[in-house]
Amino acid sequence: VRTSRSHALAVLATVVVIALLAVVPKWFDSTQTKGWAEAIYIAIAAMGLNLLTGYNGQISIGHGAFFGVGAYTSAILMNDHDWRWLWTLPVVVVLSAVVGALVGFPALRVRGLYLALITLGLAALFPDIVAKYVHGTGGTSLVQPPLVTTPSWAHGFVDEPLKGRFADDQWRYWMALTAAVILFVLARNLVRGRFGRALVAVRDQETAAATVGIDPARVKVAAFALSAVYAGLAGSLSVLVTGVANANTIGVFQDSILFLVAVVVGGTATVVGPVIGAYLVVYLEHATQGLIAGKPVLSPAIFGGVLILFMWVLPNGVVGGIRRLADRARRDGPRTEAPARVTATPVLDAKGSSP
Amino acid sequence: VRSRATASRIRIGTLAAVLAIAMIAAACEGPRARENRNIAVSGETTSGTGNGGGGGNQVTIDTSQCTGNPTDGISGSTITLGTSLPQSGLYAPFAQILKGEQAYFNTVNAAGGVQVAGKKYTIKIIAKDDAYLANRTLANVQELVNSDHVFALFNVVGTTNNLAIRSLVSQVCVPDLFAATGSPFWGNQQYPFMLGSELVPYSLEIKALVDYLKARKPNATIAAIYAGDDFGNAYKVSLHDMVKGTQLRIVQEQTYNPELPDTKSQVTSLASSNADVFLLGATLLGCPNSLTALRTTGWKPLVYMSGTCAAKTLIDLSGPGADGVITAAPLLDPAAPTTTAMPFYSQYLAALKPFGASAAPPDSSIVAYGWTTAALMVHLLEKSPKLERYSVMQTARTYTATGLGFMLPGATFTTSASDWYLGETYHLVQFSLAKKYFLPITPLIDDDGKTAKVTPPSLING
Repeated sequence: VRTSRSHALAVLATVVVIALLAVVPKWFDSTQTKGWAEAIYIAIAAMGLNLLTGYNGQISIGHGAFFGVGAYTSAILMNDHDWRWLWTLPVVVVLSAVVGALVGFPALRVRGLYLALITLGLAALFPDIVAKYVHGTGGTSLVQPPLVTTPSWAHGFVDEPLKGRFADDQWRYWMALTAAVILFVLARNLVRGRFGRALVAVRDQETAAATVGIDPARVKVAAFALSAVYAGLAGSLSVLVTGVANANTIGVFQDSILFLVAVVVGGTATVVGPVIGAYLVVYLEHATQGLIAGKPVLSPAIFGGVLILFMWVLPNGVVGGIRRLADRARRDGPRTEAPARVTATPVLDAKGSSP
Repeated sequence: VRSRATASRIRIGTLAAVLAIAMIAAACEGPRARENRNIAVSGETTSGTGNGGGGGNQVTIDTSQCTGNPTDGISGSTITLGTSLPQSGLYAPFAQILKGEQAYFNTVNAAGGVQVAGKKYTIKIIAKDDAYLANRTLANVQELVNSDHVFALFNVVGTTNNLAIRSLVSQVCVPDLFAATGSPFWGNQQYPFMLGSELVPYSLEIKALVDYLKARKPNATIAAIYAGDDFGNAYKVSLHDMVKGTQLRIVQEQTYNPELPDTKSQVTSLASSNADVFLLGATLLGCPNSLTALRTTGWKPLVYMSGTCAAKTLIDLSGPGADGVITAAPLLDPAAPTTTAMPFYSQYLAALKPFGASAAPPDSSIVAYGWTTAALMVHLLEKSPKLERYSVMQTARTYTATGLGFMLPGATFTTSASDWYLGETYHLVQFSLAKKYFLPITPLIDDDGKTAKVTPPSLING
């Protein structure tokens, strides 16, 4: 049981971080703001993947596909049917949940490496499906809906660099941030509650979980659907931020890996880990781009190298590393709190799913 | 009970604090607002009609809705240009374009720079990698325009890639000059801020093929492979349109995924048609892959391929499969001895030296294309009466160039108020495996002004 003092401290820290994130678009130019917004939607997708992989132990390398489902749902509704972005969200939620559940059912029969392979297939298949049925810019699967602009009631909040031209990127950033905060709180409450305990129980001891009245199949499918909803919403937000939905073999695959990397780098099965991981990964990606002039081919290699180094130094992610430091400090100092919480075992070490 | 009450109080307090801070944050003025004001001031002083300089054959571009600053990208005596092209991934061979461009700009800069409206400027180019993925091109160009504040976009590679940035380009009114694609789209007069490069428009390449066959083999059968995007579609639609009314017959067609250009199964299937002509509406690796596959089938058609494939790297990859391949070329082959004997060639060689022969092989037509396009760009800047986006774009609409870079002797690249296509003079060439370069098989073909007439309207305005 957490003391109310440490709880208040955590709340205070969250408020300060959100406040700092809220002023980002006032400090950075439109391109940088877009980079920050990118980190937000990747964080959301990573949060979703963490619910599935971190808490429930099901590995997915196919979340780029769910992300794409959300992105295309929003983009097509906005582009071809003149929907407002916000109105597309309920459809995104329903569609991604359905697709997630559809993948979740066959996933009941396989686990570990086999599940990784099946979801990998999903990521490989998705661009082909899109290429077949979506006809966007240039006959390819690129859909570019009109960019979301600031509503008139909010004009007082955003900058106006030219008369009558509002800095809409600031508005889009705040929309993304708001969505992220809501989804973060939701994920936090979910994993601390009954459903979260069921997720962990099924991950660690499926048979034992069944004996105490948990239906492992239901929990697993629900985890897939919920995780897909997070990824779908992230995809929808990517359309809000970048103004384009796209699915190419390399891109969908890269997104899927990126989400997984964000989860692992931040710390699996921790609420805040994927968020930290997403910001880190997006920052590293931007920082390594064009690092060596004239040799853009090297950028991904440097990015990969840094990630390997990261995992070597912090094998349990950033949050795991902080916990280890905190534990050490506590061991040295007086003990004030009993570590009675469910220990967060990184899924990659968990039984039955180690690659 | 007490702790639950405390928790709920904390929760409400948290919510209030977040909202309060968010409101304050939103309403407050960050450093960006100050920066914005500077943009606003410079934008207002220079916006206006944007009429470059009088003249009868002028195109008046409406700039009243433009959101960009027409003098962005010029600071002191430097003009900053931006480009996005594949420098990694499957399409990385296109990165050689950049080397050719840089070599030419370096040469001009070393000689004092380009003279625009009586003042000398040096040219700087910011290049971003997009791996040929259109969504990355869009992100790159957003950065180039909004953060790097480039004066103009230059030689952005790819049809879909340029389509992806088209609405942004026309909203900001940043010139997208010499787009490295032969798509007929760039003749769409609704988008005055886009200009295609000297590549022969794909529909014109098909016209050249049809004319060639009509003269030599009027009842030939044709089998074709196309990239599954608008690039490939331009060849397909043009071919269907132009064989109408002739005795030529299309007997089989196949499409391949441009992201995974493995074409073996398609070529095997096409071989069963045993057609007289094999048309390659493919680009980059799609070409050598198809040519290599062709050799394994025993089918021996006349091969006509997209001009975008006539690069040394790709020809080398095709091995013996490249022998006898025909294509339309707007420029001289930099590997031909007649070209290497030309006076400017030594300057070209010297300028390429710093990049090394592997990154910028002088006998690669992709490098030569970059060099020539850079020469056209410099020429365009020199012709502009004012160093301002609208003025340069206006000048590009009534533009004439001869004898620049690797242009064919006697050829002219022109645009006019009614004709926005540049690369309409070219010749057909055939690759000789023994000689290792392309030999002309027709004299210079002057199709100036014809692209708009022969191209199906859907390919221009679609």
